Amino acid sequence: MAGEIVVGYDGTECAEAALEVAIDVARDLGTKLVIVYAYDPARIGGEVHDLDEALEKRGREVTAEAVKRSEGAGLEVEVQLIKEKPSVALSALASKRKARFIVLGGYGERPVTGVILGATPHKLLHIAEVPVIVVPVRE
Amino acid sequence: MESASAAEPAPTGAVASEGDKGLKGGALGFLSNVVIGVASTAPGYSLAAVLGFVAIEVGFQSPAILWLAFVPMLFISAAYYYMNRADPDCGTSFTWVTSTVGPRTGWLTGWAIIMADLFVMANLSQIAGLYTFLLVGWQSAADSVAAVTAVGVLWIAVMTWICVVGIELSARTQFFLLAAEVFALGLFSVVALIKVYFGNVAGSVDPSLSWFNPLDISSGSALAAGVILGIFIYWGWDSTVTVNEESENSSETPGRAAVLSTVILVVIYLVVAVAAQAYGGLGPLKQNPDDVLSALGGDVFGTPLDKILIIAVLTSASASTQTTILPTSRTALSMAFAKAIPDRFGHVHKRFQTPDTATIWFGVGSIIWYVGLTIISENILFDSIAALGLMIAFYYALTGFAAPIYYRRELFKSPAVMRTAGFGVLGGLALLGFGFFVSDVWSDQGNAWTALFDKASFANFIATVCAWVGTVGLIIGTAVAFIRSRSTKNLILVAAAGTVGGVVLTWAFFKSAIDLSDPANSESGDSWFGLGPPFVIGIGSLLVGVLLMLVRERTHPDFFRRKWKTAPPGSLDPATPTPVAGPSFAGDETAGGGPA
Repeated sequence: MAGEIVVGYDGTECAEAALEVAIDVARDLGTKLVIVYAYDPARIGGEVHDLDEALEKRGREVTAEAVKRSEGAGLEVEVQLIKEKPSVALSALASKRKARFIVLGGYGERPVTGVILGATPHKLLHIAEVPVIVVPVRE
Repeated sequence: MESASAAEPAPTGAVASEGDKGLKGGALGFLSNVVIGVASTAPGYSLAAVLGFVAIEVGFQSPAILWLAFVPMLFISAAYYYMNRADPDCGTSFTWVTSTVGPRTGWLTGWAIIMADLFVMANLSQIAGLYTFLLVGWQSAADSVAAVTAVGVLWIAVMTWICVVGIELSARTQFFLLAAEVFALGLFSVVALIKVYFGNVAGSVDPSLSWFNPLDISSGSALAAGVILGIFIYWGWDSTVTVNEESENSSETPGRAAVLSTVILVVIYLVVAVAAQAYGGLGPLKQNPDDVLSALGGDVFGTPLDKILIIAVLTSASASTQTTILPTSRTALSMAFAKAIPDRFGHVHKRFQTPDTATIWFGVGSIIWYVGLTIISENILFDSIAALGLMIAFYYALTGFAAPIYYRRELFKSPAVMRTAGFGVLGGLALLGFGFFVSDVWSDQGNAWTALFDKASFANFIATVCAWVGTVGLIIGTAVAFIRSRSTKNLILVAAAGTVGGVVLTWAFFKSAIDLSDPANSESGDSWFGLGPPFVIGIGSLLVGVLLMLVRERTHPDFFRRKWKTAPPGSLDPATPTPVAGPSFAGDETAGGGPA
């Protein structure tokens, strides 16, 4: 079935908000949900092997929770752990799968902070080839 | 649970190798590999921190030290590179030494890495503080220890925060920063040399080829001290090799990038060193060892152009801070994962995906260390760099020896001829190193090389025998290895590279430790417990490490009962294709193995 929903998920509260919306959208449209956990520690500085492993393990753990929730909502779910910057991973996967939407959470940081921290939604809006839904976190 | 876990390889690989994008990706990858290599080593900062001290140790022979010190680094990195290729799972120095030499040695290796990084933070923040004031031309603040320390502490805090939230300069930004740095250093050298040759500079000395000759170094002690300092300026370069290994799919590019970044580094160091001492002779270098480049930059460029050099050092120092904090926190994470230290150091921040606990602990520790040392000793720079060199030599030597130990089975099961060759090469190297060590430490001769031919004392006799037997064994062993076999050549090279690097660094470690134990040899001239401060700092922190290790072993013995690992049979034979660099990392066995 075409038109999957791709959701960026890392287990933070912001990702929970995104997942909630993604589940709603996928259920309403009757499509599959693809949960993406992306990680990419800086290569500079070396000594990266165990950190990669730690992040992958973390990815497995948090996505397992997300899968449980989505399946509970009666959805068909797939998990992707991708070693790549989140923005790049999400847009590349979405383009490849011809996904309907990308859903992800935004902390609603002020622009300067967002630029310094390299906010994923900001980058994604520029590079994504499919529509992006940014879900704000409610305080 | 998961319907598909990482079954698809990371899109990087796919994107980079698709059609016309592939070419572009490859070209960018090559450049950014070179940039990472040079930036990690931070040439501007390293020169600012060390050049003066090297001149104090070896006078005009600084260029000789700068290329000589690179040799053990090269060997250690080569050993590292081959080990990574044969066993991509080997991880860091800590993991590597733990599984090959043993858990206790591994633990101490990890400890030495963390301590070395701690020491360098004091130096780094001092340079950063000092050069910040020099940049704005506030000389009175630059002369105030308190002001410099305050800015230094702020620097550590900001850098720690940056590492926690995971800000990473893009390859493009780094490229520009590095280009500016190299340009500034190059311009400095060219202008200085032109003025030396065509101008009328008071105190200038025409460059001489003898500056590159290590045999002209006055004594073994000076040589060892110089090498220890020199190791420091190449420190960080080794991470290039491993970064290169995993960042590219092409089997050609990483090697070429490593070679190019090496050439750039060595050339920068040599040219700047020659230009600096040609311009003002040794005087300015020895008088301002803690801010050589700013002092000379002012003379060579005049204001306001001299700021270029100061900016270069500052950007370089920021890169260096990152390449110090990141690996330290990651080593701590590895140790926590292996249950070698408490679990909390293995904590990873949910959102930023960085080892936040280890990073913050390290930042706080660095500040305490920096401020504490500044209060105790006015002249921390030399003392901390010298101690730092000891720590680096310690863990690099162990990493080097890990290679032959890891491959010992392969080495010994090979055909008789090759076995002999292996013994010849390794034994020869070890004997040669031992010979130099004996002649240098226990003879009255000042010069390690002339001492070899002086039979006045028993020590010299032993040294001479070792050196000759070692040389003969080395030559014959190498010759046999090269002539008889292609398959085992690789193996011998791996083992030999590790052994050479290990022997040289072990020698530098002991020699330097013995010299530094004399209070007269410390920059501050202070005496702690009748010993030199660098010795107390370096060896003392290793002893503290031993204590902590024993405590840990008492409470959590699991880690210390680990079994040793040796190389899988045939892992270095050319018949088995070496693992393809990039993808094997992206999807190693735990990830469920994507199409490699």
